[in-house]
Amino acid sequence: MSEPLLSVRDLHITYATHDGSRVPAVRGVSFEIDAGGSMGLAGESGCGKSTLANSLLRLLPVGTEVTGEVVLGGKNVLSLNPGGLRAVRWTSGAIVFQGALHALNPVQAVGRQIAEPMLVHDTASSEQAARRRTVELLGRVGLPGARADSYPHELSGGQRQRVLIAMALACDPLLLIADEPTTALDLMVQAQVLALLDELKQERNLTLLFITHDLSVLTYACQRLAIMYAGRIVEEGPSWEVFGEAAHPYTRGLAAAFPTIGDLSSRMAPAGLAGDPPTPGNLPQGCPFNPRCPLAQDGCRDAEPELRIAGPERRAACILV
Amino acid sequence: MHPGVTPLVEVDDVHVHFGRSRAVDGASLRMFAGEVLALVGESGSGKTTLIRAIQGLQRTTAGAIRLEGRPMNATTRRAVQTLFSDPAVQMVFQDPTGALNPRQTIYEIVAEGLRIGRHGKDEREKVAEALSRAGLRPPERFLTMYPHEISGGQRQRVVIAGAMVMEPRLLLADEPVASLDASIRGEILALMRRLVDETGLAILVVTHDLGLAWNIADRVAVMYLGRIVETGPTEAILSDPKHPYTRALLSVVPETREMEQQILIGEIPDSARIPGGCRFHPRCPLLQSGTLPPEVAARCPTDDPGPVAGDLAAGAACWAVPPG
Repeated sequence: MSEPLLSVRDLHITYATHDGSRVPAVRGVSFEIDAGGSMGLAGESGCGKSTLANSLLRLLPVGTEVTGEVVLGGKNVLSLNPGGLRAVRWTSGAIVFQGALHALNPVQAVGRQIAEPMLVHDTASSEQAARRRTVELLGRVGLPGARADSYPHELSGGQRQRVLIAMALACDPLLLIADEPTTALDLMVQAQVLALLDELKQERNLTLLFITHDLSVLTYACQRLAIMYAGRIVEEGPSWEVFGEAAHPYTRGLAAAFPTIGDLSSRMAPAGLAGDPPTPGNLPQGCPFNPRCPLAQDGCRDAEPELRIAGPERRAACILV
Repeated sequence: MHPGVTPLVEVDDVHVHFGRSRAVDGASLRMFAGEVLALVGESGSGKTTLIRAIQGLQRTTAGAIRLEGRPMNATTRRAVQTLFSDPAVQMVFQDPTGALNPRQTIYEIVAEGLRIGRHGKDEREKVAEALSRAGLRPPERFLTMYPHEISGGQRQRVVIAGAMVMEPRLLLADEPVASLDASIRGEILALMRRLVDETGLAILVVTHDLGLAWNIADRVAVMYLGRIVETGPTEAILSDPKHPYTRALLSVVPETREMEQQILIGEIPDSARIPGGCRFHPRCPLLQSGTLPPEVAARCPTDDPGPVAGDLAAGAACWAVPPG
C-alpha cells in the first residue's frame, strides 16, 4: 500500500461576501490520493470543486475562512508560513488552470513565463539553464523549442494549454492539479492533451487531481472519481464503477447526460437532470439533492446523509445505499 | 427519400474565401423540414463560416444557397442586410449569458425580434407562447425578470424563445450546449428535439460533440478544411464511419473506449494552405498505416477526391472508400 501524497481531512471553506454574509462553498470534504495515483473531481458549476482545488495551494482570496487539514507531501499546507508555502507551490504541487488564454501574460513570450518559476524557486542555476530547460519542456509537451519566443496570441488554444502544462512541470512537482484543462478545446486536441497528461503521469510518477464537469473525460483519465454536490463529496470510488454503476442518484443523473454512442436507449433521448443546483448560502433541509432527486422520500428531508460504504473502495452519501 | 418535396435549405458548392484563405471551399448540403442535421468538425474546419453564410451574415464567394427554392446567399453587402432580417432563419449562440442584454427584461429580449421586424401584432401573446414553448412556464413569472435572476439553463431557454418567437423554419445553433453544465445539456437538447417534432422546424446544429449528434440528430455531416468529407444517417456515421477522419474523431470520444484511439497529430492546417490531393492526406492514419493498396495510396497526395454530393445519399470523400 503506497502512502497518500495528498490527504485532505474535514475541509471547510467559507467565503466572506461584500455585504458581510458568509457563504459556505466547501462543507466537510475528506479524501486521499496515493502517490502516483489519479483522482477526478466532478460536479456542476458552483459545487465547490474549483474552490477546493485552489485551497490545496492556498490560492483563495484573503478573508476566506479555511479549516481542516491539507497534507501535501508530509506538510500541512494550511499552517505553513509564507516561506514554507512558497516552497510548496510549484515544487510540491502545481496547477494547470482553466482558460489557457487568461492564465498567460499576453505581453510576455511564453518561454519567459515557463522559466519564471524555475528562477524564482532556484531550480535553475542561471538564465541559460532555465532557457535550456524551457526548450526541453516545450519539446516534452509536443511544441518546437522555437515556440519559446512566441506570444500567447500567436498560439492556438491547444498550444496554449500545452504551454501551461509545461509551466506546471517547470519545477518537477509531485502533484499536478488540472482545473478544466480541456474544456475549451476541440475533441481531437482534448484527446491529445489527455494522452500527454497520461504519458507524463507514467513517466514522472506524477500524482494527478483532475477537475471538470465532464464526467466522461474524468472516467477515461483517472483511476478514482469523486462527485461533489453542494460543497460535499456525495460519491467516491473507482472511475468505471462510479460512472457505470453509480450508487448515488445524483451521479446516475450526471452520468446519463453523457450518452454512449451506439447505446440505443440514449438515441433520440437526451437525458439531463431537472432543476438547478442549490445556491451555497441557501441549502435545502436534509439531503441537499432531495428537491431534484427522482427517488426522494420523506426521510431525505430529515438530515443530511453522511458518506457510507457502498461496496469495495466505494462510498456514497444517500440513505438508499 | 423525399421525392417531389422542395428542400428547406439547399447549399450548392458554396465557397467563402477571405483573401487566400478558403474557409469554405465547396460545401454542399440539403435539409428538409422536421429534421436535425449535425455539422461536426474541429475548430478551423469552416463550420461556423458556413452557417454564417446560410444565416446571411457572411458574403459568399461562389455557389448557391436556397431557402425553400428562393436564392438566399448574399454576394453584396446590401443583400446581406436584407437576408439577415428574414425571420425564417434564426440563430442560437453558444454562450447564453453573452447573448442576452443584462439591462433588458426577459420580455424585452424575447420581443426584440418582433419589434425590429415590425411583426409586433399580438406581441404579448407571442412572447408568452414562445417562452412557454421553450419550457419557461408559467411565462408570466419570467416576463419582468432580468437575465441575472435566472439560471444558466433558463437563459439558454430565453435565447431559444427569442428565436422561436419569429416562427422560423430553420434554426441555426452553434454549439448550443457547449458552455452549459452536463446536467442542463440534456434538458436543452430534449427541448430542441421536441420543437422539431412538434412544429416541423429544421435545426442545423454545429458541434464537436458527437454525443449530441447521437442524442438528437437525424443526419450527420462531417466537415474538414472547408468541405463536407462524409455525410449520412446518424446511426450509420456513428456506428460504421467510412472516412478515416470521421473514424479518428469517433475513436477519441471518451465514451467509445472499446475503439482503439487514433489521435491525429497536430491541428487542422491553415485554410490558406490547403494541402494538394486529398486535403486530409498529411494527417490520415489510414494512409500512414501503409495498409492501403499501392494504387490507392498513390492517388491520396495527388488527386483530390472532391466533395461529397449535397443530396441525401451517404458518402465519404476518400479514395479508400468504394463509392455507393
